[in-house]
Amino acid sequence: MTFHSSSAAARALVRCHSCGHVEPVEVRHCPRCHASLHVRKPASLQRTVALTIGAAILYFPANLLPVLRVESTLGGPQQSTIFGGVVQFWQEGDYPVALIIFVASVLIPILKFLAIGLLCLGAHFGYWPRALTQLYRVTDYIGRWSMVDVFVVAILVGVVQLGSVMTINAGEGAFAFAGVVVLTMLAATSFDPRLIWDAAAKRGGPSSYRSQEGI
Amino acid sequence: LHHSSILNICSPIEIAKSPHYLACPDCDSLYSVPVVGPEERVVCPRCQANLFSRHPNFVHRATALVFSAAFFFILANVFPFLSLRSDYRESDMYLAGCVSGLEEQGFPVLAAMVGVFTLAAPMLLIGTLLYVLVPLLHERRLPWAQPICRAIHQARRWNMVEVFLLGVLVSLLKLGSLATLTLDTSFWAFVGLIVCLLAALAAIDYAELWERLEDAQPS
Repeated sequence: MTFHSSSAAARALVRCHSCGHVEPVEVRHCPRCHASLHVRKPASLQRTVALTIGAAILYFPANLLPVLRVESTLGGPQQSTIFGGVVQFWQEGDYPVALIIFVASVLIPILKFLAIGLLCLGAHFGYWPRALTQLYRVTDYIGRWSMVDVFVVAILVGVVQLGSVMTINAGEGAFAFAGVVVLTMLAATSFDPRLIWDAAAKRGGPSSYRSQEGI
Repeated sequence: LHHSSILNICSPIEIAKSPHYLACPDCDSLYSVPVVGPEERVVCPRCQANLFSRHPNFVHRATALVFSAAFFFILANVFPFLSLRSDYRESDMYLAGCVSGLEEQGFPVLAAMVGVFTLAAPMLLIGTLLYVLVPLLHERRLPWAQPICRAIHQARRWNMVEVFLLGVLVSLLKLGSLATLTLDTSFWAFVGLIVCLLAALAAIDYAELWERLEDAQPS
């Protein structure tokens, strides 16, 4: 493997992923926190790709199956999918809520798939390391917000548990959707952004960050 | 006042001599540890990652916040969370009701997930933080402090209390037309929990926490 000349790996040093201690590569376990040391996250790209594919497969049942089944004495049985929930809020005129759910449940998962794909390409080809590292940080942070819809289902089920004018049941879609969120979160954490910089070093690196060196 | 100071990349010879290194978690650039004043933040010049910051009294600040978070956490679990009033009946929902409701409807795994993200992860975070921070006030560390400190990093990621709050607000709007929902004591305690826990986590600089832990006397 090629490393950038100013990287720790190029000087045979490893950073502990949990406490940040820097040790020579020969050391197997961090002397400070006892975590096992790796130059790069082990099998990072393989794990990220595998988890993302798993999430992409689950994405279909998550959107096609109902997340919520409502039976009320007033209306009759109703099923709603994730996207159906957005449409319902929009039709009722609750535009801000419709927008929040649309962003959290529809837009963020799709953007996350695209972002992880871009990151994996970046780790292979080494283009735009700086921008992609920023993208990695955003992706890692934003994934959790997709969980909103699952929590809404849990709360509705909890509130209307005892059965009165209506019964609310969770649907299989909610389970699949929670799976998508967890798998994409795991995919983002198993990705190692340093691979992008390694690939950029191998490629020769864009002039934008070459100029930053040798201060 | 926070302001960032950018450190210089040192030459290879300097690095070899220096006893303390610092590697960027996101781009692996190697630096020698610079001298940094209080409330200063060090940013990686190559990829803009936050490397570390100095908050001289972060242990006191974080301990106080975690104690308040623990207090709010207990309140949030003891009192009812939401009260539902319709023409026919009244019912109270407790925080744990979200988990048990899903479990009763035949979704044990989903119930476990919601339980982990909203109850287990914050509880674990509060417990581990207190275990590590309280002895640090006296510059001491308890046995197993290092592996427990590593658990904090893991629990942090799966703590989704703030996302749950957004979920509560959406549910209120969703049910608003069908029944009258009132926010109960536990809801406000939960808001307090979010504020204190997130402030505590933001106050802690992990590089500094590990340094303090290394310097502390084992007891």
